Amino acid sequence: MNRLSAIFSFIFLLAVMPCIAAEAHGGEEAGEEKIDAKEIIFEHLGDRYGWEVPFCHGKSIPLPIIVWGHDGLHCFMSSKVEHGRTYVDGNATFKVAGEDSEHKGKIVEIIDGKEYKPWDISITKNVLGLFIAVALVIISILNVARWHKRNGYKAPRKFTGAIESLITFVYDGVIKPTLKDRAMKFAPYLLTVFFFILYMNLLGLIVVFPGGANLTGNIAVTLVLSIFTFLLTNVIGTKHYWKEILWPDVPLWLKFPIPIMPIIEIFGALTKPAALTVRLFANMLGGHMIILVLTLLIFIFAAMGPVVTGGMTVISVAFSVFMLLIDVLVSFIQAYVFTMLSTIFISFGQEREHHKEEAHGHKESATTAESPAAG
Amino acid sequence: MELFKPDFGLIFWMFVAFAILFFVLWKWGWPAIMKGVEGRADLIDKGVEYAQNAKEQLDSARQQADSYIAEARKHQTEILREADRMKTQIIDEAREAAQKEARKVMEQAQLSIQQERKQAELQFRNEVSALAVDIATKVVRNEMADEKAQSRLVDSLLDDMEKQN
Repeated sequence: MNRLSAIFSFIFLLAVMPCIAAEAHGGEEAGEEKIDAKEIIFEHLGDRYGWEVPFCHGKSIPLPIIVWGHDGLHCFMSSKVEHGRTYVDGNATFKVAGEDSEHKGKIVEIIDGKEYKPWDISITKNVLGLFIAVALVIISILNVARWHKRNGYKAPRKFTGAIESLITFVYDGVIKPTLKDRAMKFAPYLLTVFFFILYMNLLGLIVVFPGGANLTGNIAVTLVLSIFTFLLTNVIGTKHYWKEILWPDVPLWLKFPIPIMPIIEIFGALTKPAALTVRLFANMLGGHMIILVLTLLIFIFAAMGPVVTGGMTVISVAFSVFMLLIDVLVSFIQAYVFTMLSTIFISFGQEREHHKEEAHGHKESATTAESPAAG
Repeated sequence: MELFKPDFGLIFWMFVAFAILFFVLWKWGWPAIMKGVEGRADLIDKGVEYAQNAKEQLDSARQQADSYIAEARKHQTEILREADRMKTQIIDEAREAAQKEARKVMEQAQLSIQQERKQAELQFRNEVSALAVDIATKVVRNEMADEKAQSRLVDSLLDDMEKQN
């Protein structure tokens, strides 16, 4: 009963707050600039130099900018180029490109009044987020590893146990059934990918400092991950896998003068990482965007008077909480799906001539019974 | 769209970060965990198998023990029955023997009694006859002291003989 009343009073407060705020400010801020929802959303989803401090708009934790300009390497803190300032480092001048530039929001080198994009390997918000995720994954996994080294065959508890059960969940549920005897060979990569994505997803849901970087909703991150899977699939791919791609079991006219099937197969091989990239990226980006939009609804509706805003606050906070909870689930599911698809793609690359071996076992009676090629 | 253009810096750092992460976990993380987990799974499997075997063995042992107990019980009743039988037999035998013995003793006793009696009778008769002879002698001596009496006797004897004839 007590808890219920607390919840109700919180909701009431949410609903009333905009009214009070409107009272207090009166009409003086009525003429304030309109909220550019699109701008805010993309600003939050994108990358930036410096990590904004919560509740202090415009202030941010400076991060190092590392660029390779026309005359070599330059390193300086992002606070030097904040708020559109230019920074002169030796012979080079740098600034963050403004709204109208084609390199909007990126660091540019100004040579003779023109903006050039240097090679930019700055530790941006997203890069720092990556490092934080890497550190957390390493800590979590090495914690489990240390437990196993120290305690032998005892079952771990609490956090260690939770991580271990996730490991066995992925290993026994996905990797082992798919890759069978090769599971041990690829498990390190696949498990690393799973935990890395899971941690990045969850960190993305946290609004303030260690989290907040939209990592898996960034196409660069998912692209690199799927490139690794692509390389693993194709570089360690078996002879049989390559034969299936370049000389598949189809009528000769489909592959001889014009290699129709090989081309299709190669496209298939290339679309797999593309699908991986876009799936994770779009899912996570969508989740973040929905929450941002729901939050922004409050401010968009602010123009329609305090009562509407109050109602909208309650609705959008409720929906945001709901969406965040869904996103926690989605974080896990997407990490799982990425791992599962990577496992399946790698297992295609590990295909051996199963049916032929079997056929030999059946005294070559079943050689004609070709199973459809995987792909 | 900015969002769909992968940023070079981020790609670079992602490669670096993932390479570091993978290397560290590949070197120090996964092998230990995999070994530990597999080892524990094997241990649990073995434990379960062992427990099953132990249970089977225990069951069979219990069955065996039960059968042993049943057998022993059967044996016991048999022995008891045998003992009972033997007891009665012994008692019967003893009784029979005792009876036989008793009869023998009785017979002997009877025999000896008869003999004794016979002897006693014989002796008695002898004594009686001796006594009678004595008495008769004495009587005859007394009777036959005078002649008259002798002749009376002779007469009476003769009379008797006559009467008989």
